[in-house]
Amino acid sequence: MAIIVNLDVMMAKRKISSNELAEKIGITAANLSILKTGKAKAVRFSTLDKICEVLDCQPGDILEYRKE
Amino acid sequence: MVNELTGWSQMKSLRLSRLLVLGMFFLLIVLMFTSYIIAGWFSAISVGKGVIKSNLTGAVTAMICICDIFALIAVASLHKLLSNISKDEVFIPQNALCLRVISWCCVFAGLTMTFFSLWRYEFLFTAFFAMFLGLIIRVVKNVFEKAIELKSENDFTI
Repeated sequence: MAIIVNLDVMMAKRKISSNELAEKIGITAANLSILKTGKAKAVRFSTLDKICEVLDCQPGDILEYRKE
Repeated sequence: MVNELTGWSQMKSLRLSRLLVLGMFFLLIVLMFTSYIIAGWFSAISVGKGVIKSNLTGAVTAMICICDIFALIAVASLHKLLSNISKDEVFIPQNALCLRVISWCCVFAGLTMTFFSLWRYEFLFTAFFAMFLGLIIRVVKNVFEKAIELKSENDFTI
């Protein structure tokens, strides 16, 4: 897919672990892993909202479009 | 979920279906070994017409045996389908495959009966019903495949 999820980069910058982030945004660690590995087919606005709130960032910091 | 009025639950319904499938399996096994006797009875009471007039008992025995094999395959697929459903695995590719197998079994049984209608035209009616059933199951299989696709999309929506 042409959409790249840079969640792990942002998590590293904020020094937050996967389990901690999953707990704070209210999703399972397995679902966060799906999101991080780029296997997700869609992201809910509510999930994106919580991620941005917890990581104090913009959606553009997490999602990136790269032409294939 | 339990129905308050009847006390009937989804689990009990599944168990009943599995029991019926098991019963059908044994019935089909018995039918396989008694096909010649049943074909003999049929020949004795049958008054219909057909293109071929000789050896009706042999033809009916062959038809029962061939259709029985398709029925056994369909029952085995039904058993697999029900065991997957009882494990809460409903919209999975394996279940769609089971429905596909059942559908083809119905179609092949219909084709078999069409061939044996050379001995008795009445078999064309049962052939029609078998093929119609196959068509219905095929449509259900298509619905299942779409549901699997939607479920996969839903599972990967975070």
